[in-house]
Amino acid sequence: MANGTWRSGRARSGGRVSLLLAGIVSVLLLIAGKVHFLPVDRARTALTDRAGTVFQAVNAPVLAVTRWFSGIGHFFSVYSENQALREENARLTQWRGAALALQNRVNHYRLLLKMVPDVRYSAVTAQVIARSSQPFLETIVLNAGKANGINPGEAVIDARGMLGRIYVAGDHTAWVVLLTDLNSRIPVEIRPGNIPAILAGNNTDQPVLDAIPQNAKLRDGADIVTSGDGGLLPAGLPIGILRFDGKQMKVALYSDPLTAVDVRILDYRAPIEQMPKPADSDLPAPPKLSPPPPPTSPLQPSAQAVAQPSASAARAPAANPAIALVRKSPMATRQPPPSDLNTGSRAPAAPSDPEQYPAPAEESPDNQDNQ
Amino acid sequence: MSSFFAAIIPLSSGILGALISSLPISLTAGAMPPPLLSFMAVYFWCLVRPDLMPPAAALLIGIVQDFVSGSPIGLWATAYVAIYAVLAEQRDSFAGLAGIGAILGFALAVLLASAAVYGIGAVYYWRVLPLMPHLLQVVVSVLCYIPLLPMLNGLQHKVVGPLRSEF
Repeated sequence: MANGTWRSGRARSGGRVSLLLAGIVSVLLLIAGKVHFLPVDRARTALTDRAGTVFQAVNAPVLAVTRWFSGIGHFFSVYSENQALREENARLTQWRGAALALQNRVNHYRLLLKMVPDVRYSAVTAQVIARSSQPFLETIVLNAGKANGINPGEAVIDARGMLGRIYVAGDHTAWVVLLTDLNSRIPVEIRPGNIPAILAGNNTDQPVLDAIPQNAKLRDGADIVTSGDGGLLPAGLPIGILRFDGKQMKVALYSDPLTAVDVRILDYRAPIEQMPKPADSDLPAPPKLSPPPPPTSPLQPSAQAVAQPSASAARAPAANPAIALVRKSPMATRQPPPSDLNTGSRAPAAPSDPEQYPAPAEESPDNQDNQ
Repeated sequence: MSSFFAAIIPLSSGILGALISSLPISLTAGAMPPPLLSFMAVYFWCLVRPDLMPPAAALLIGIVQDFVSGSPIGLWATAYVAIYAVLAEQRDSFAGLAGIGAILGFALAVLLASAAVYGIGAVYYWRVLPLMPHLLQVVVSVLCYIPLLPMLNGLQHKVVGPLRSEF
């Protein structure tokens, strides 16, 4: 039928036009797509805020089954793991004494050099209530949000090392972008040598290192920690170990997002640089004015009467308001450091206030620093 | 009114599939990616009721999938529109498949969609992306399509089917 043919032909061409238009719109969206859509993030956090308890209820049996299966694997290796743990414990006990001695020495050097103490930060503990592994987004959801003081950009760590950063935070839940996510790029440091680099996620369990200086000498097994550059993350958070994979340099992470349950979110703010407060000895001494010359004419006594109050004012340095302000300003107070931030191989952090430094141990001049 | 609701079922099923697959709940504790439930709706309704699944609907479902899955905006939308074009050209071949053939036809379509997303994503991020998450997503999607296909068929026959359509 001619009419049916014409109608089907027009429908086909109309469909092609709409298909072409849809294709053009999608490509334009892709080109203009590098935009952070706030309404999407708000919708995402609103959904998880309302469904947080459901996620926990659904995820709990899944976690229990997962742990049961992984426990079966551990059952067969419990003896060898026990032996390895005993040896490691003995080795770490020896290191503990050395670490305490080094800490005392560092405290002594801080006092001598009058170093500015490290910034302390508080932490919020939360639990993982959901996980999602999409080809373009690796995330976990926590049961803490803005009501608990969590803000986007804060570091998330577990007992072993850093997991990721807060991506969006609702009132009671928060999404974490993991270090393995494709969109994750953080500044790190390779130790020893304090070599700067960028840790870039690639949706595998071993992110890669980028932007390494050309002449940097690296070795397999080097320690990777956060560098603190940019003031977004605190420096020194353990991340993982460097592993060479052909020409690529990958990082074997300490933490495992698949098994992390209890995590901590660090409330870190880069300190604003403050000028050191001057002591009394730093301020210039008040000028010593010579006594006024005796009057030579009957008209001079008025000048003498004027000169006397200024001389008396110069002899009262204690009334200087700047010195009074310095004396009365309080010392900055800091939160106590989180006690379990450190792994077994790392020394605990030093206290912040110089007045609280423990008395340094007696040092032998023959001792050498271990590097 | 009932015909209007029946007419928006294909679009709604695609959007609902995108939302469900993007929920941060994983039966494998995050080890496997979620299935492409939204693409199942696009594939099925494109073959069975193309009048109710126009290219604009596929574009919209793709945009929703981008929003909720954390992908760059336009990535899945472009892939869905591209696969829609392929399905529209080969509709007779795909629609005529039955049984295992229907599953294999869907497997081919989702493989093409994932390949399109992988290629576009590689250009977008300007790096070689890992292949395994996409392959795993294809496998999971095919496995989930097997029990979903009878449900979609039931939806078509009992709810959407009575509507008349003109090709």
